[in-house]
Amino acid sequence: MNLLQVRDLETHFISRDIDNRVRIAHALNGITFDVEEGEILGIVGETGAGKSLTAQSVVGLLRPPARIVGGQVRFEGRDLLTMSEDDLNAIRGNDIAMVVQNPRTSLDPLSRIGDQLIRIRRAHSESSEAEARSRAVEMMTAVGIPDPELRLSAWPHELSGGMAQRVLIAMALMNEPKLLIADEPTTGLDVTVQAQILELLRDLVTRMNMGAIIITHDLGVVANFCDRMAVMFAGGIVETGTVGDVFENPAHPYTSNLVDATPERLKIGRKAVFGGAPPDLYNLPDGCHHRDRCRFAREECSTPPPLREVGLKHVARCHFAGELPETAQ
Amino acid sequence: MTFTRFFLRRMMMVIPLLVGIVFGTFMLIRVGGLDPVGLLAGPTATAEEFDIIRAELGLDQPLWAQFGIYIGNVLQGDLGESWLSTRPVLDDMLDRVPVTLELLLWGVGIGAIIGIPIGLKAAFKPDGTFDHVSRFFSLFGFSIPTYWLGLMMLFVFFYLLRWAPPGIGRIGLMVSQPPEVTGTYLMDSLIAGDWTAFRSALSHLILPVTCIAVIAAAPIIKHTRAIAIEVISSDAVRYAKASGLPTLTVRRMVLRNAATPVLTFVGTELTGLVGTTSLIEYVFAWGGLGQYGLNAIINGDFTAVQGYVLFLALFSIFVFLIIDFVVFLIEPRAELQ
Amino acid sequence: MPSETTSMALREVTAEPEFSLWQRIIGLTRRSPTAAVGLGIILFFGMLALMAQYLMPHEPELVYAERVLHPPSSEHLFGTDGNGMDIFSRVIYGARFGFGIAIPAVVLALVIGIPVGLWTGYRGGMVDEALMRFFDGLRVFPSIILALAVVAATGQSLINVVIVLGVLDSPVFARVVRSEVLALRSSVFVESAIAAGNPTWRILFIHLLPNAIQGAMAQTAVRAAWAVRISATLAFLGIGIQAPTPEWGAMIRQGAEFMISGQWWVALFPGVALILLVLGLNMFGDGMQEILNPRSRAEK
Ligand SMILES: Nc1ncnc2c1ncn2[C@@H]1O[C@H](COP(=O)(O)OP(=O)(O)O)[C@@H](O)[C@H]1O
Ligand code: SF4
Ligand SMILES: [Mg+2]
Repeated sequence: MNLLQVRDLETHFISRDIDNRVRIAHALNGITFDVEEGEILGIVGETGAGKSLTAQSVVGLLRPPARIVGGQVRFEGRDLLTMSEDDLNAIRGNDIAMVVQNPRTSLDPLSRIGDQLIRIRRAHSESSEAEARSRAVEMMTAVGIPDPELRLSAWPHELSGGMAQRVLIAMALMNEPKLLIADEPTTGLDVTVQAQILELLRDLVTRMNMGAIIITHDLGVVANFCDRMAVMFAGGIVETGTVGDVFENPAHPYTSNLVDATPERLKIGRKAVFGGAPPDLYNLPDGCHHRDRCRFAREECSTPPPLREVGLKHVARCHFAGELPETAQ
Repeated sequence: MTFTRFFLRRMMMVIPLLVGIVFGTFMLIRVGGLDPVGLLAGPTATAEEFDIIRAELGLDQPLWAQFGIYIGNVLQGDLGESWLSTRPVLDDMLDRVPVTLELLLWGVGIGAIIGIPIGLKAAFKPDGTFDHVSRFFSLFGFSIPTYWLGLMMLFVFFYLLRWAPPGIGRIGLMVSQPPEVTGTYLMDSLIAGDWTAFRSALSHLILPVTCIAVIAAAPIIKHTRAIAIEVISSDAVRYAKASGLPTLTVRRMVLRNAATPVLTFVGTELTGLVGTTSLIEYVFAWGGLGQYGLNAIINGDFTAVQGYVLFLALFSIFVFLIIDFVVFLIEPRAELQ
Repeated sequence: MPSETTSMALREVTAEPEFSLWQRIIGLTRRSPTAAVGLGIILFFGMLALMAQYLMPHEPELVYAERVLHPPSSEHLFGTDGNGMDIFSRVIYGARFGFGIAIPAVVLALVIGIPVGLWTGYRGGMVDEALMRFFDGLRVFPSIILALAVVAATGQSLINVVIVLGVLDSPVFARVVRSEVLALRSSVFVESAIAAGNPTWRILFIHLLPNAIQGAMAQTAVRAAWAVRISATLAFLGIGIQAPTPEWGAMIRQGAEFMISGQWWVALFPGVALILLVLGLNMFGDGMQEILNPRSRAEK
């Protein structure tokens, strides 16, 4: 069943300059994707593509000047964007849990780890202090935190980045969420821990029929742990499909570049490697936003490309999706 | 980190500051074109008399030697003698400390009690009506001259309404002073159970304390608001909200996280408002340390000025140290700083 | 090649959109009414100061011996003071002291503070460390008292007041400039300017200054407000400027004794003028800081 449906989500940074002129950074332009129960969706894209912003828009973590200007985010059929604050609070942290990209600054610096875990459990269920505590220990063990009992009384500033990351994941799992959104959950962790945590996620998804979104710039993570993937570029999703389909038959020029050019470790570098800087979000080019960087750009590309279906549930936003010459290098 | 180590480290940092301050106050009267010898000797003094006074003051020695003497004296608590009162400056000042502290603490305390909730309320709804009104009030408080506010208060509450006593001194002329314990009439009259004195002392306190509170509240409002807004938009608080924690829990978290910086700011206010308090003392003839210092400045009593400035600097350092310790006690992150 | 990158990067940082003064003023009014009102008040007093001769109905120091302490009337709008001088004219004339002290003091503070901030921020090291410690040390003295004591100790002339205020205020500017320089120091355009072999002074004043000065500029109005306040306080205490100079602080001093005998007008009007000018400067400064703060630029 469809757990999360995001439709035409638009998030812009709207501000005024010194001369009182409105300036709009078109950071997300019509994001559409689904997450089903029991599957992991991987969102990939270079830094600045809007991956984190997508997640933040879904859970309401935005801060001004970012603002959602259009679209829907439906969770189990209900639109989160128009819901009352109370209804929303009953869902987030409970049915939808998020692991943010900056774990160290996101923990309450003045509460002990254990208290924060217990607090979030008790905010959403009728459990007792002791019960919540034992669940906290359980979750901390599950994410591979050594000496969980001891760590309960640690302060956030005493944790290393990787440890804080794991605490945040434990926190997200405290209430058995139906949907877990993890923004680069394994950056900063060493490879074994990384694998351990991803295995855990994989296992939870299968066992509890949970849905998950993993945001990453590590294509290896997508290839090994995700069922479907969405490729983001300049605030839009350029291609979605099952991991197998997208890797084998990338339909969008950006994806095919990505897949071709990302060798062994399968990591997308911090810098935009394929053909220069990403487009200026304040002045997006007309038509296809990928135009300035695209090897295949033609006249048609000055009109907005449609979403073209190239296979079963495999779509790409390109005029020539699926018709690109295989050999062009 | 243990408390002792923290304490020792702070002390290590304070010592060079202390030396710098003593040097600063030492230089204060030496860089100016003023001639303390001429002031002391008077216009009719002969050359020999000049030399004698110069030698008495140690001014015939090289500068570094003078500084050595000065440090030595300061360490022994000898800040020289005021020529206005012909008493040791330190004694003059120590007598007046409680009198000034009474004004300062009440003023800043009330300013904080008013200012902190206003700043918080403004921060919880930025750009609301309340925010705009409080911002204007705060700008106004930044702009109003202390002494003028005091004068206006006297005009309205003494001259027009006759609610307040004339702005002279700390207790009515007809009221007998309570036996001295703390040095403040309000406390001493309470201790003595003397209600007449208590009422009189209280009525003399109200206007000057109000003035200081108004002026103290302005920056407290502004900074509390800025601090709270910073905290509210921090990753941690936004994450707590996005985790569906109840509004009350989130709000408590904001207050907890804003507490330390706000407290620190109020502490620094305490030192910054010594100047304001001095002016208020001057207007209300309060007779405390502030008035003493201003009179010394106005009348060119430079030994007293020197002592006064040194004293204020020490007071600031003392307050900063206390803030540090309190922060250390209430803040788990303190050891990081 | 390096020089090309430099010029490109620089253009990117310093490029101004097409801009008209009028548009900017309109923009200012919309963005921050506070700043606009503040600017209006400042301009009003600026006009008073410039056109004082034409606006004053009486000479500011002319004594009407038979009209001592007259309350406000149509002849003397703000009444007369203890010497029989026209308070209205004196208040107008007083604007000259407000600006005449604040402007040079702030300019002096900028002239000292900006190079110091640029240099220490750029060079870092021991000198930077020592200077910042020194500035920290200055904080233990309440600013009013420090200013009073130094003016009193160095001799009480008007020019001395200006110098002391300027010097005491310069750390504020040094600090903001320094912190911006620290943020810019490792940026691409500075590094390419260094690589292109620019001398240090060029890097400081041509490359860094235009990008580091915004914060300092936003502070000028607030610091000017401080200078006006402190100079009036000095005059109120009879330090620096003496009665019967038509300076607001000195006038309040003259009026102080009459406050408890009911001649309120002597101290009231110069005080109101003082508050208004300081308020105007503070409002303008506060508004400018708000406008320059990216967070508050979010469109509501
Ligand atoms: N305050 C802002 N104003 C304008 N654009 C912003 C602002 N903050 C972030 N952005 C832009 O939003 C885009 C999306 O960022 P983000 O979602 O964090 O990217 P990702 O997580 O994919 O690396 C980036 O291109 C960034 O430049
Ligand atoms: S629409 Fe044109 S420019 Fe855009 S990705 Fe396809 S081919 Fe390239
Ligand atoms: Mg991100």
